[in-house]
Amino acid sequence: MENLNEVLQLFLSVDNFIAIALGVVIGVTVGSIPGLTATMAVALALPFTFSMQPVAAILLLVGIYKGGMYGGSITAILIRTPGSPASACTLLDGYPMAQQGHAKKALKTALFSSVIADFISNIALIFFAAYLAKIALNFGAPEFFWLICFSLTIIISLASGSMVKGLLAALMGILLSLVGLDSVFGSQRLTFGNYNLMDSISFIPLLIGLFAIPEIIEFYRKKVVPHIKAKASGAGMTLAELKRSLKSIVRGSLIGVIIGAIPGTGATAAAFISYSDARRRSPNKANFGKGEVEGVAAAEAGNNGVAGATLIPLLSLGIPGDVITAIILGAFMVHGLTPGPIMFQENLSLIYALFLGIMFSSLILLVVGNAAIKYFSLIADIPKSILFPIVLMFCVYGAYAVNNATFDIWLMLAFGVVGYLFNRTGIPAAPFLIGFILGPMFEDNLRRSLLISNGDLSVFVRGPITWFFIAITFGSIAFAVFRFFRDRHAKANPLGNESPS
Amino acid sequence: MKKLISATCIAACGSALLVSASITTANAADWPTKDVRLVVPYAPGGTTDVLSRRVADLLKDALDTNVIVENRPGAGSTVGTGRLARGGRDADHTLLMASPGHTIGAAIYPDLAYDPVEDFVFIQNVIDIPNVMVVPASSPYNSVVEFIEAAQDQNMAFSHSGVGSSIHMSGELFKTLTGSDMTAVPFAGSGAALPALLGGDVDVSFENMPTVYSHIKSGDLRALAVTSAERSPYLPDVPTLSEIGEYNLDQFVTTAWFGLIAHNSFPEEGFEAMQNALDEVMEREEFLNFAEQLGAQPGQVEGEEFKQFVIEDLARWQAVAEQAGISQ
Repeated sequence: MENLNEVLQLFLSVDNFIAIALGVVIGVTVGSIPGLTATMAVALALPFTFSMQPVAAILLLVGIYKGGMYGGSITAILIRTPGSPASACTLLDGYPMAQQGHAKKALKTALFSSVIADFISNIALIFFAAYLAKIALNFGAPEFFWLICFSLTIIISLASGSMVKGLLAALMGILLSLVGLDSVFGSQRLTFGNYNLMDSISFIPLLIGLFAIPEIIEFYRKKVVPHIKAKASGAGMTLAELKRSLKSIVRGSLIGVIIGAIPGTGATAAAFISYSDARRRSPNKANFGKGEVEGVAAAEAGNNGVAGATLIPLLSLGIPGDVITAIILGAFMVHGLTPGPIMFQENLSLIYALFLGIMFSSLILLVVGNAAIKYFSLIADIPKSILFPIVLMFCVYGAYAVNNATFDIWLMLAFGVVGYLFNRTGIPAAPFLIGFILGPMFEDNLRRSLLISNGDLSVFVRGPITWFFIAITFGSIAFAVFRFFRDRHAKANPLGNESPS
Repeated sequence: MKKLISATCIAACGSALLVSASITTANAADWPTKDVRLVVPYAPGGTTDVLSRRVADLLKDALDTNVIVENRPGAGSTVGTGRLARGGRDADHTLLMASPGHTIGAAIYPDLAYDPVEDFVFIQNVIDIPNVMVVPASSPYNSVVEFIEAAQDQNMAFSHSGVGSSIHMSGELFKTLTGSDMTAVPFAGSGAALPALLGGDVDVSFENMPTVYSHIKSGDLRALAVTSAERSPYLPDVPTLSEIGEYNLDQFVTTAWFGLIAHNSFPEEGFEAMQNALDEVMEREEFLNFAEQLGAQPGQVEGEEFKQFVIEDLARWQAVAEQAGISQ
């Protein structure tokens, strides 16, 4: 009882509420500006938290993190420019929806699914942190290796249309991801002596170039594009649509939670895995990539499911899973707190006060998101001839802002041309992106496993987690092959069993 | 009319001269005359960034001017440092937070466009973070000597946070000094490396103190030694590597140091003003608390001594890079 009192005392202060609200507003705003990521916003906000109370300080940063996760989807949907890497997946269906005049529906879907995922993620953090942390600790390089192998199989379901083109795109992505320094020897690979490429190709310029620029090129090439104008861009998400997507949202959130709890995988991978899982299971499979509500919901659930879960290894083990949690760890330390098992013994009240605040932040996200949609969806009604020059300006700014480097602007424009060629030749961009993200993780964990085991291959089958991922990897491939032959069979006999006797 | 024009011209030129002269005197009289930039050659969120922002915040009061932190990440820290080395208009008000990346970068990148010593002035070492040699709690080794003896005929894996990090280079230094058989296992940052160490996938690491301190306290990791010259007040029972007295370890003294440097055209007044301001900052309670949280010690050297320190650090890493065959 005394504890409860203390928790409430720590939590119920005006500062905390202001910190959360401010954090979410900053997060949504910054997240929605291409090139400004939640990571950057959290880093920039850190010095301001030095003088705050610890609970308010952490909640401000968590608020920015969560707001930023959602905010990235806004520009992804409206102008095909993902505000943050994790929302690249959201645009696959979000942008087509906006083009069809359903911008508001897409934004609302993204928001509801984000908030639900966020909530599930928080629950996981509060109740299952200890268990999930244990799984995370058992996740060594070989386990990671198989997780990545499994994730790579989602290329199969993302390669809409032609499998050959899908694989080609994925391989090109992997090839480009090799640019930079070798992770073991530090030697340069494919940099052609250019020091700008030493830190590998920057992700944000690649994203902006790949998705936003081709739209602009296409617009000026065709000159006239029918502008679909619905009043404030259409209706919101209906209850029936929410019901239909709910399963995908919950599944996506759980995928996000598991991926988030394992340090070092990241929200982008979670979004794509959730998306491809939803697509595999959905009755509206054919509509994915063309403006499917469920697609937006699954992608956003995947990336927001990560947000609460990354705090699991941070709070219970003191291990930051990504850059943002590393900064939050820094904020804890500035206030004399060291996350990890000891904090659960020494500062339990503070942890529970944080949990309350984190739950509250989901609610705030709903309110702030709703307000943001009201104004942001107006963007969809701006004529393209006015909107696109502004978008181009943001593209240039966004590419530059990541590293303060003009080289990245050229990189972005080059990827714009690549993206345009992809569009014209029907090569899907999503597998390219998956290859680019997962390629290095695949390589690093393969090499790491072999370094740890001194070249002994048995390390790859060393425990139940590896067995599990081996099973689902091969299961996933077998299922795809089976479906391929079934579809071919169905095509060969279009009337199936009802063929004339 | 002509006369009038020429008179105006002369007056204009004269006043321009006067203005510029007064600017120069103002420069000589006091520094800073405008906002100070603090370049962080790493991305936002890392140790260098967090530290720089903390220091910038305190410097703002001490210098009574804005101190703007600017991230210029890339290629170790060499992109940001290279830009500073080129000088330019604002070089007299630009500082850079240098770290082991400054010397290690110079040791492993073959053709840098700048000289890591001669192109800069070295103002002051701000903070020193020791590295700790840690093994998992399940490890059979209870001392450095036990570990080295085992490592003579058995391969040991050590984790690090990336090629060229102080953690990686410390491991390589240990390997060359003691003749141990060790394999470097790279991870993307200390956060990702920690589970492998806690789970026993790797045998040892030379991690930064703040990363492992809580795990040492909770008993999940065992500290065998610290890499600094003197024992850390935070781990008073843990010996330094140089104390061991065997296997050439008396030469093993390294820390993750952080200090402010500037372009070599940096004005003398600025140098003095900065040293005074830093002295003030480093006595502030906020700064000392911050250092304590990092398990770090306020920096010890400034000016010429700091420069000598950097020269020695550079020589050490050059030798290690050569022996370990690390070169980019």
